[in-house]
Amino acid sequence: MSHFLLLVLYAFLVSVFFALLWRSERPDRVRLFLQMFLGLVVGGLAVAWLMFPFPSGPPAPFS
Amino acid sequence: MGAADGSPPASAPAGPQAPAPPSREASAAEGAAAAERAAPLEPRGNPYLAALLAWVVPGLGHVYLGRWLRGVAFCVLVATAAVVGVSLDGKLWRPVAGKPLSYLATPGAMGLGAGYFVLRTGMGYRGDVTAAGYEYGSAFLLTAGLMNVLLVLDAWDVSRGRKR
Repeated sequence: MSHFLLLVLYAFLVSVFFALLWRSERPDRVRLFLQMFLGLVVGGLAVAWLMFPFPSGPPAPFS
Repeated sequence: MGAADGSPPASAPAGPQAPAPPSREASAAEGAAAAERAAPLEPRGNPYLAALLAWVVPGLGHVYLGRWLRGVAFCVLVATAAVVGVSLDGKLWRPVAGKPLSYLATPGAMGLGAGYFVLRTGMGYRGDVTAAGYEYGSAFLLTAGLMNVLLVLDAWDVSRGRKR
């Protein structure tokens, strides 16, 4: 599974969870879901883009 | 009569159309929903039992409190996160001497309730640090546990009458 697909799946699960937990009216739930989902996906892509110039370095040692 | 004397014409279609008035049934339903929202919150069930059930099985505390749909939805969400985490061979945290963060992460992972102990002791699940999805799986598993911790607190609040 691609990293981006995992990011989208994670953002979807977390956004639905908090929309159901924190809001009780349908319009409010939809609004919070969209805010969180887009924030996580777009924010993740933005952070990935900002990190792109930096070298990845050696792999982490397994312990 | 009409535009000549300043009064609006009887059948003038100009201007935005006014919304149709709601039907009597729709008004009654909206009124009932508004009355339910305005009603004072009342305690429901036993808060200790609700919190315990919510911890053991995600969503069961809400089902016990009569919030069937929310309980089932929460159960599906937490279970999906846990299953994805296990399928990616993520880490199921346990205390490790010399690693202070493990003592913070372990209670979060234990938020999965019965699932944590079934995975760790019943199925011997450990995760695979060499797996490609190890870090992602660890994030999914820890998130599933933390989400259920929030569900325990939510079930407690609903049972105490602090939340609808």
